[in-house]
Order: sequence, then C-alpha cells, then structure tokens
Amino acid sequence: MSLAMASSAARPALSPAAVRLLLGIAVLILWEALPRLGLVPQLFLPALSQTLAALVGSAAEYGAHLLHTLRAIGIAMLVACGLGIGLGLLIGSVAPLRRTLQPLASGLYAVPIVILYPLFTAWFGIGPQSKIVFASVYGMLPCLLGTMAGIQTIDRQYLTVARSMRASRWQVIGRVLLPAAMPTVLSAFRVGGALVIVGVVVAEMLTSSEGIGYLISRYRTLLDSPHVFAGILLVVLLVVLFGALVQQVERRTAHWRFSTRSGEAG
Amino acid sequence: MAAAFRRSAARRLGGLLSWIGLVGAIAAAWQASLWFGVMTPELLPPIGEVLATAVSLLGRPAFLASVGVTLAEVLVAFAIAVPLGVALGFAISESSYWSAILKPIVFLIFSIPKTIFLPMFILAFGINFGQKVGFGVFSTIFIVLISSFSALDSVKSDHVRVARAYGASPWQIAWRVYMPAMAPILLEAVRLAMIFNLTGILLAEMYASRAGLGQLIASWGENYMLKELLAGILLIAAAAILFNEAVRWFEARCEHWRS
Repeated sequence: MSLAMASSAARPALSPAAVRLLLGIAVLILWEALPRLGLVPQLFLPALSQTLAALVGSAAEYGAHLLHTLRAIGIAMLVACGLGIGLGLLIGSVAPLRRTLQPLASGLYAVPIVILYPLFTAWFGIGPQSKIVFASVYGMLPCLLGTMAGIQTIDRQYLTVARSMRASRWQVIGRVLLPAAMPTVLSAFRVGGALVIVGVVVAEMLTSSEGIGYLISRYRTLLDSPHVFAGILLVVLLVVLFGALVQQVERRTAHWRFSTRSGEAG
Repeated sequence: MAAAFRRSAARRLGGLLSWIGLVGAIAAAWQASLWFGVMTPELLPPIGEVLATAVSLLGRPAFLASVGVTLAEVLVAFAIAVPLGVALGFAISESSYWSAILKPIVFLIFSIPKTIFLPMFILAFGINFGQKVGFGVFSTIFIVLISSFSALDSVKSDHVRVARAYGASPWQIAWRVYMPAMAPILLEAVRLAMIFNLTGILLAEMYASRAGLGQLIASWGENYMLKELLAGILLIAAAAILFNEAVRWFEARCEHWRS
C-alpha cells in the first residue's frame, strides 16, 4: 500500500485505479474502433455497438434460453458446492480421513473433466440432467479441495478448547470449524461456483437443444459473430456478478473471522 | 537422515496403497452396479471388456495418431505459455506501479473460467492446429502469471541482501537464492498449467475438430461406442494422474533440497 502510494507520488497525476479505468475505456474504444476501421475483420471481432445491438435485438430469445441455463446452474451449484463444502468440512476435520483422501482428491483434480461429458450424454440423454451432472462434477472438486485446505489453516487451539468443553462433533463443525473456515470456504465457493456456471454453458455448447451455450454454438455455425459475442458477454457478466455477490457475503461475514481469530492478533 | 528417508518412503507407500484402494473401490462399484442391475451392460460395459479395449486401443495406429496430434498441441501450447507467462509475470512484478495497476486485472481475468471463450477462437482462427494451440496458451497463461507473482514474492529480500553483502555475483544470486525459493512454486505452476492446458485443448478438440483425442472421445460418445469411450476416458485419466503425481514427487524432492 505504501509502495503504491510512493510511486503514485512520483507520478502525481494517475493512481493505479485511474490507469485501470483508462485501460478499460481504451479496450472499449478499441473494441469499437478496430472492426469499424477495418483493421480487424468483423467476423473475428464484431464492434462493441454491434454486439450490444445483437444482445438487445434478440433480448427475448436470450432471456428465454437464459432461464433454462439459470435453472441448471442453480441445481448444479446446490449439488456441487453443497457436496463439495460438506464433504470438505467432514474430511478436513477428521485427521485420518484427510491424510488418505486429500492426496487422492488433488490427484483426481488432474483429470480433465470435459472428457466425461460424452459419457453423461450417453447415460442421461441430451436433456438438462446431463449438463447438471457434468457441471456438478466440474465444480465439486475445487470446492472440496478449497474447503479441506481451509480447515487445515484453522488454529488447532480452538479445537482443543472446544473439545475440552465437551463440544459434540456437530457443535465443533457448526460453532468452530465453519466460522473459522468461512473465508476459505467462501473463496472455494467462488471458484467452484464460477466453474459450475461455465460448466453448464460449455455442456450446452457441446451438445444441447436449449440454453445460452446452445445459442452461442448455433450462432457460431451461422458465423453470426455479434450474437456469439453477445452470448459470451452475457455469461462473463454472470460469472463476474456471481463473484461480486460472493465477495459481498465475504465482507458481511468478515466479523466472524475477527471474532474467531482475535487471539491471533496478539 | 535415514529416519527421514524411511518416513518419506512410508508415506509414499501409504499414498500408493490409497490409490490402489480408490481404483479397487471404483472397480467394485462398477461391477456391483452391473450385478445388481443398476446399470445395463449397454450403458456400462463390464470392466474387463473395457480394459481389453484400452489395451487394444494402444495398438491401433489411428488411435496413436490422435494421441500424437493432441500431444503435439499440448506441448507446443505449454512451451509457449510457460516461458511467456513467467517472463510477463516477472516483468510486471519488476515495477510496483505496474503491479498495482495490472495485478487486479490479471486476477479478475483468472477468476473467469476460460472455456467460455472457445467460440471466439474458432471465429478468429478457424478450426486448425493454431486455434487449438492458441486456446491452450490462453487457458494456461493466467495461472502461470499468478504463480510467477507469488514465486517472486516468496524470495526473501533479506536473503538477497545477505548474498550481496558476501559478494555473490548476480548469476550466483539467481541460482542460489532465487531458484531454491521459487522452484516449488514454479513447479506447482507447471503442474496446474498442464491441467488447464490439457483440459482446454481436449475441450477445443471435442467442440470442433477433425483430429485429436478430444474429437475421438466426442465421436465415440455420439455413436454410443461406450466400450471405446470408457477405455479412452480411463487412459486419459491415468495419463493425467501419472503426470501430475510425477511432478508432485519432483516437487517434494525440491522441497527437501531447499531445506
């Protein structure tokens, strides 16, 4: 922080945030200007205004497909993050389980999950089920790994104190582990949730008959770039919005951390 | 020393046993679901047949050619993304002003899963080798950037100062101070980069391609050739896990060398 201030004092006009804002504006201007001036073919990069026009012009179509996508995302997120965080809390808090399962889980993380999608479509058909199963598997491992790692960072003294007060396993999980692990659990949720959102859309892109991903793929085969970019923009907005929402929750629950880690400050 | 060696050997044996346990559990669940009629052999061929298919795949020239295509794409993308990412990461870290500007942007882009941008690459590059490599590089480079940020952060300035005070040359400082501190984080970067890279390229092949393992997997799925599909999944998963474990083993050795 002091470093950043020192360098902004050396260049008094621009703070890093201001430069970031200017960079963002420059990207938007280039996005409009490059295709308009013919420096980049419109097929590769449709102008910003064209993309937005495509989004607004087909708003009803995007809206209808977005509903299908959002429903799948909702269910998959419940499964992926519920199972991932729940199992992570359980495994992370039982030492022998953690020692055997954690290396396995992080080893399994190396498997490219996309190759399972054809199997799921063969098993469950090209309906919502296969994309929900796929997105759940896609998002679950990061949630599980993040939560397990979060549990490990908790000060062991809290557990000793809780046990010496004869807290039950559920009390230990609910009153000690969960509040203390909250920051890591939330960041695991942020990573896993973003993967679930994109997992559903990618599944729709591969084989599906509805949803935003299906629209993106259909417009791609028609070489209708503005509509492809509009769809991608919509999904990126969804991911960023989700991330901001979780960050808001992180901020709201920050006092949990302070109350559980107050001992560390001293 | 001997005790430490015995302990690490015991841990490695324990790790191996838990992998054997996991494989056994999957095989048992697989066969049990067939015996109890949860799955039909059309949906889930018996594990013995799938393993036999996997072995025969390894002898088929068409399959090996697909493996070659995918491997070439993965290696080229890796060879571009890792040095480029490390160089860019170090260049950004050099200046605290530009770090303050660019790091939040890199972290924001990193938080968006890259797979969503695949259709843009097809519109821009068409469907070919270059497009797969480009998408692989794009999927990989942000994790490398972020790892190089934290690798440089892990070098303690005290250590550098002490080395300079003793008159170490820049080369000696790079090799004796920077390398040992950064090696574990950079190896971790290599491991994660390979996971992201392989996933990106397989997806690109599955989405639209004329060659490669991903294309093969997708077409087996479309044609309900589940024996081949499952065999392919098992082979890719085994290769990915083996590569990952090999890098982790090397990481553990470096950790040892560092202390």
